[in-house]
Amino acid sequence: MKQRTKSKELWIFIILVVLSVLISARSNVFLRPDNLIDLLKNNAVLGIMALGMTLVIITGGIDLSVGAAVAVLTVLIGKFMVTFGGNLLLTFLVAVAGGVIIGIINGTLIARANIPAIVVTLGSMSIINGLMLYYTNGSWINDLPAWFIDFGKITLFKFHDAGGNVVGIPIQIIIFLIMALLTWALLKYTLMGRAVYAVGGNPVSAKRVGINIERTLIFVYAYMGFLAGVAAVTHTSIMRQVDPNAFLGFELQVVAAVVVGGASLAGGNGSIIGTVLGVLFMAVLNNGLILTHIPTFWQKIIVGLIIILAVSFDVIQRKRMEKSLPRVDVEY
Amino acid sequence: MLKTSKEMILLYVFVGLFLLMSAASPSKFLTLGNLQSMATQLPELGLIALGMMVVIITGGIDLSITFTAALSGIVGALVLSSGYSAGVEGTAVIFLIIKALLATLITALICGFVNGLLISYVGVSPILVTLGTMTLFEGMSVWLTKGGAISGFPGQYQWIGNGYLGFIPVPILIFIVFAVLTLILLERTAWGRSVYMFGCNPVATFFSGINTKKVVMLVYLYAAMMAAMAAIIMTSRYNSAKVDYGSSYLLQSVAIVVLGGTDIAGGYGKVVGTVVAAGIVQVLSSGLNLIGINRFMVDVTMGVLLIAVLLLNSFISKRKQGKGVKKEPKKIGIAV
Repeated sequence: MKQRTKSKELWIFIILVVLSVLISARSNVFLRPDNLIDLLKNNAVLGIMALGMTLVIITGGIDLSVGAAVAVLTVLIGKFMVTFGGNLLLTFLVAVAGGVIIGIINGTLIARANIPAIVVTLGSMSIINGLMLYYTNGSWINDLPAWFIDFGKITLFKFHDAGGNVVGIPIQIIIFLIMALLTWALLKYTLMGRAVYAVGGNPVSAKRVGINIERTLIFVYAYMGFLAGVAAVTHTSIMRQVDPNAFLGFELQVVAAVVVGGASLAGGNGSIIGTVLGVLFMAVLNNGLILTHIPTFWQKIIVGLIIILAVSFDVIQRKRMEKSLPRVDVEY
Repeated sequence: MLKTSKEMILLYVFVGLFLLMSAASPSKFLTLGNLQSMATQLPELGLIALGMMVVIITGGIDLSITFTAALSGIVGALVLSSGYSAGVEGTAVIFLIIKALLATLITALICGFVNGLLISYVGVSPILVTLGTMTLFEGMSVWLTKGGAISGFPGQYQWIGNGYLGFIPVPILIFIVFAVLTLILLERTAWGRSVYMFGCNPVATFFSGINTKKVVMLVYLYAAMMAAMAAIIMTSRYNSAKVDYGSSYLLQSVAIVVLGGTDIAGGYGKVVGTVVAAGIVQVLSSGLNLIGINRFMVDVTMGVLLIAVLLLNSFISKRKQGKGVKKEPKKIGIAV
């Protein structure tokens, strides 16, 4: 089991390296530090969301409301900052609190009322989106306070690249890394993390060993909401304005990144390292297609083909492995 | 014989809403014009929902259904606009339209075949396959249209989406035909039985000697065919084809299917339920629009309705479980 997850991640890593080599052979811009940093910065939001979605998918669920959630949270903090001023800590708190509330509502409906996650989050998606667009009428929020814009420009660990330019790591990448570490530690070293895997792998056994399934599920959706809050602040700090329509269809991109990273939608499977690699893969692919001047018309075709290949390959490999194992159960 | 089944509750909701809307604005809602326009709008989403329902009964989902519709509509539109010039008349136009309809259908069936192949023969989970093919079909649609719209169809083609037979719009007739067809296929044929069986228990279905792979393949082909029909109505109604026509129907169609009582885990679902649910959604969105409620609030209403109906269902089933003699053992604790 562990062997398999490991080999899965190794495969994604190898494919990522091969892809990077191919792109850098066609474009000398790709491996430049500023390009790589831009690439990471522009995908930090996707990455943060994918971390939360990994947990949701490990429990066997799915959260289609994340696009709407992060959009409404950007509007919330935008309005908050424009109206009250506030400071960075308060802004973070508002975003995270909003996200956690959305998550708890989703989680409660899923865990307590036993409604499938896909349906609950479909419903909450259209409620959140509708309310937000009604309230904002789709108009953008500008005039964010200067301190917030400055926050978005922070770079750390400055160094000189080959051309002598000063390059630093943007704060958004740091936020993503901290969240990734936090989520990784949560899954690996805490009881809750173990419970997340147990609930997804086999709810019956999980219940028998005394895991509170309801609490675990509500926690997972609340954590997804927490990360949506962090992602909302991160996104706004990059864009320096709020567009209520920026996240339409974003939820499926997040799911795609997690799935390419090796998590199985049947639950019980998935890892943070895999998801980070999945996000990197999507990021490198999109960046590479632009750098190698492949017309944008082709990009979706290629991304679609890669998702299909990745998931088919995984299934074929698993089938092969099952064949080599001694048969215990009657299966077809 | 009137049981309080899920479908009957829905029908009451539908009738109630219809009366409510009629009472709220009798001068606007209860006019022939409004009823006709509702009957013209409903079929696109309704057809996609019917296709989605068949897939969901097997426990799957088809996220690629709207882009199957977009892609097939675009291919049909290309055939139509490239073959049509001012000089073409009479039977030549009819042949051209038939050619375009066939092109639409065949393209959709190819899309469905790809889904079916990967899902039933390779064994990848439906949501993953269709997530990939959704992106793929969208990409191909963008590639074919270069992001623009395709237009320049013969005037006769518009009859499908905008025409009337008597005072009845043609799209609603097409919808009725396919709803009846779906009903017959699901409830009167061996294939239909095995679709429900597969949704309940794929392993048992396999061991009872049913070629489950073929059943599932046909399910995705059928969904694609419904997408093609929706695409034909759409391109004809808008007199053009574009990538994002109908892209909002994806999650809406899932919502309609679930609202219609179909179990998202598979095994249960009725054509009547889906049709009534599609009707509810149409009455709600047209009615609220006529009263002058913001269209975004219509989305909110639908979301609330979806969750409320499911909460009600889960509440009812919990009470039944609590009251009755233990007919069904509780799920957790028994399944070894």
